[in-house]
Amino acid sequence: MNKKLSIRNNGMVWIAPAFLFLLIIIYYSIFYTFNLSTMDWDGLSPTMKRIGADNYTKMFADKVFWKAIRNTIVYFVITFVIQNFLGFVFAAILHSDVKLPTVHKCIIFIPTILAPATMAPVFRLMFSPQGMLQKFFNTVHIPITVDWLSKPQTALYVLMAIVVWEFTGMSFILYYAAMSQIDKEMLEAAQIDGAGNIRILITMIFPLCKGTTVSLAMLGVIGALKTFDIPYLITTGGPDHATEFLGTYIYRQGIRQSHLGYAAALSVMLLVMAVVGAFLTNKANKGE
Amino acid sequence: MLRVRSRKNKILLQCLLILMTIPYLLPLLQMFLGSLGGRGLYNYAAVWNTGVVPTYFRNSIIISAGVILIVYVLSMTAGFGFAKLNILGKETFFWLILVALTLPEVILLTPLFVTFQKLHLFSTFFSVIFPLAALQLPFTILLIRNYDQGIPNELMEAARIDGATTAQAFRHVILPLTRPIGSAVTMLTLINSWNSYLLPLLFLQKPSMQTVTLLPQYFQGEFTNDQTKILAAAVLTAIPEIIAYLCMQKNFERGMSAGALK
Amino acid sequence: MFRGCKQFRKRKDDKMKKSISFVLATLMASSTILAACGTANTSAPASAAAPAAEPAEDASSGSDGAGGGSELVWWGWTPGSPLNEQYIAEFNKEFPNTKITWKQTTVDDYDAAIKPALANGEGVDIFEVSAGSANGGVGIFGGQAINMEEALKGYLGDDYADKLNEASLKSMTVDGELKALGVGTVYAGNLWINQDLFDEYNVKVPTNFDEWKSACDTFKENGIIGFVQGAGQGAFNMDTYHAICDNIQPGLFTKATRGEAEWTDPVFVQALDLWKKLFDEGIMQDGALGIQQYPEANNMFLSGQAAMVMMGSWYTMNCLPDTMRANMEAASSTDEPFAMVPINFPDIAGTGNVGYVFCDIDYATAVAKDAADVQAATDFALWLGASEAGQQMIADSLNLVPVLKSVSPNWDKVVLTNPEKQNKPVQEYLTNAMANPDNPRFGGISADLNQAMMDVLAGVASGTLSSADGAARLAEVE
Repeated sequence: MNKKLSIRNNGMVWIAPAFLFLLIIIYYSIFYTFNLSTMDWDGLSPTMKRIGADNYTKMFADKVFWKAIRNTIVYFVITFVIQNFLGFVFAAILHSDVKLPTVHKCIIFIPTILAPATMAPVFRLMFSPQGMLQKFFNTVHIPITVDWLSKPQTALYVLMAIVVWEFTGMSFILYYAAMSQIDKEMLEAAQIDGAGNIRILITMIFPLCKGTTVSLAMLGVIGALKTFDIPYLITTGGPDHATEFLGTYIYRQGIRQSHLGYAAALSVMLLVMAVVGAFLTNKANKGE
Repeated sequence: MLRVRSRKNKILLQCLLILMTIPYLLPLLQMFLGSLGGRGLYNYAAVWNTGVVPTYFRNSIIISAGVILIVYVLSMTAGFGFAKLNILGKETFFWLILVALTLPEVILLTPLFVTFQKLHLFSTFFSVIFPLAALQLPFTILLIRNYDQGIPNELMEAARIDGATTAQAFRHVILPLTRPIGSAVTMLTLINSWNSYLLPLLFLQKPSMQTVTLLPQYFQGEFTNDQTKILAAAVLTAIPEIIAYLCMQKNFERGMSAGALK
Repeated sequence: MFRGCKQFRKRKDDKMKKSISFVLATLMASSTILAACGTANTSAPASAAAPAAEPAEDASSGSDGAGGGSELVWWGWTPGSPLNEQYIAEFNKEFPNTKITWKQTTVDDYDAAIKPALANGEGVDIFEVSAGSANGGVGIFGGQAINMEEALKGYLGDDYADKLNEASLKSMTVDGELKALGVGTVYAGNLWINQDLFDEYNVKVPTNFDEWKSACDTFKENGIIGFVQGAGQGAFNMDTYHAICDNIQPGLFTKATRGEAEWTDPVFVQALDLWKKLFDEGIMQDGALGIQQYPEANNMFLSGQAAMVMMGSWYTMNCLPDTMRANMEAASSTDEPFAMVPINFPDIAGTGNVGYVFCDIDYATAVAKDAADVQAATDFALWLGASEAGQQMIADSLNLVPVLKSVSPNWDKVVLTNPEKQNKPVQEYLTNAMANPDNPRFGGISADLNQAMMDVLAGVASGTLSSADGAARLAEVE
């Protein structure tokens, strides 16, 4: 029936406006960036110099580039697991019989609404050695020094905590949505059979939310590769590039240091990885 | 979802929830308390006294409204097309749109600058509205397509039997049914356009065109960095978003449940 | 697709429709209302707390009468609102027909924001530049500025070069053209101390490594941070490193930036060792690498939580009670201003070479080639950088050392927080600074060297890089 319907309609008209809009803005930019990646240009001088693949050779030999890739991977794996675990648990609890669900929902989701530019100074204050956390540890006499942002070994983890704080709301909302589609009677039947809560969560609810998990994985891969605001505003990629991501490195090279061609090469690399990453997650989903 | 019968377990679950929520509350508290540091409410007065707050808010509202309008219209129509109509090479087009989802803002800066300059769009609100809308579209199209796919074909067919054209079916059947996802799309788009920082910073050059995210710049000079007023500005910036969310919260949730990604 | 028809009909909810249209309508409506507010606001007189926020009002009303004023936009990052508006207001006393709007960005965002604006040729009439590789480098942005030499000659006479700070002309000359007029210089390489805290705890002002360490220890025992540095902000680390290098062998750092010495020279390795030692021996406060000089370190010093800080001549402005009070409030402190005093960088290498400072033009004013009114923009740049009135205003703010040699702070009028403790050291400090030999701060450092040095200093401090490897990395930069 659907087919019969559609033959009569030219659906192209309906997607064309959005598609053309993206073509003009996004695809044009991709093409431009690709072209720029073979140039040497400072962004102001009237002449660009074509240098072929030099930017790419330079990139593969660039230690900071590899560090950014490593950071992105570590960051993705850890934030993905923690953020979605928390989102999932929140969703399950808030679907149960608890008091003040709306208040909790709002508190969890508001971080997602707020601009990273707004929150960056707040987190710098919290994690400073004279900040709120340190004062708390001092008051309860726990001998911990809050100097994590200052150490290359720990700075990345602080940023991850901040990102988890910011985006748990998103995971939560999506899991919450997925769970509201689950057939309650089926769960009740299992409960009558004596299955415990934890077991039902793991063996029944989680598998039923698989679609959401995969979508979150795809968004997570893309999001991790796009990471910019939080490291830029909180650590500016430091100390010693310990929190460098491709986004911050592109900005540093292109906008701050005026190596626009090199930044474009990094951008092309980022795009390729994002597309491949999104494709693989999607494939993994369909393959199963 | 979880079955908790005994009173003791109920209290335990509630406590667990509260314990888990507290870490999400603390930074918000820190922001608010920090904004009252030094001379307390005077910080807010100082932010207001810059004289630019209404202008910046107005600009952010213009930009957000523009982005929401474009995203709403384009993703509604495209989502409908992808979900319900037959299109030659539909999968390919859909993938091409999804590829755009992977593009970070920072890559757009140079190409768009050069283009907007040629088109004399640079330092107009369009130079911020267009890219923000383009960056938002792929995700909202994905959401709406998934949502529309859930609308039974029978409804469309019934409309058709009554002699409705595709446009009429879209208007009278699809649009009324897609209000919840529309509300989710509006909310998500509002978040992203209101919060945008780089594009307004780089593309809106006139002092009269700055947006709320640039308000803290007033208190960050080379040798001054007034945290208390920066935080006060941050609170002021956040309030409209929080209000919008609270107003739309119910519908937003419903939209997300039906359009949930899968 | 297990969702049924029924579910959907249930969702067809009028409330929802209303709420969306409500939000959209509110957006639109408030945008119109606010648009009206915005316009209304710009023509309203500025409020009391920001006396100079809208200084150009008089100007525009004046220009209506004269019928030929121009409107200009002045871009910059320093000294920051509301000081810039006060400068404009002063300028408007002499030139009432020029309306200037100040556009401020943060130091970090300046280059990124002004580059597209300059390339576009609109919206920038006057802009701040600095020497070398710091933000707003004249080498990068000078190409978009007019040559000011003739204008300056016309204003100060043919011997203009004798009347101005030499570095201000030299560092702003690109390819033989004077691209900007210096406004004032900053010196760095010294420390500032909270003299009241030193007196209270009876601590000796440090002159060498051991004294410095023991001062820090004493303060620590009393719950105060001895020395604070925001080592997460690379530029200030470079100041400290430069000071250490000058302590070991004065002038070698500058030579290396000019290619006259090698970065692999043992002096630079030793300086990196000493830099590391500051962290290892606890002179740098715990977590130094995780905080920024601004706001954190600055706030700690100004709120009395720390007794010493590595800041340069720009900090002199905090000797003025009003400026200091405002900056203390910004640091969430409601205490009374205290007596802060500049001291030499301690002789940590034990060489006896102390009192060296390095200097740059803090900022200079450039006029954009595409300025709406080049003449009016030039008038402003000249007034700020070469007129007695403009330079006296700069001098008295104690923010910068004026470039016009005939001008110095009017000490009869400028009253410090604690004249007894501060007058002598502050005046000596400024005199000594101005007498220092040619030793640029960032003026001679390229963008790539700048980045490399920040990386190396952070790497050495955090222990991920050895001093020798660090020096080698500096040498790698072309």
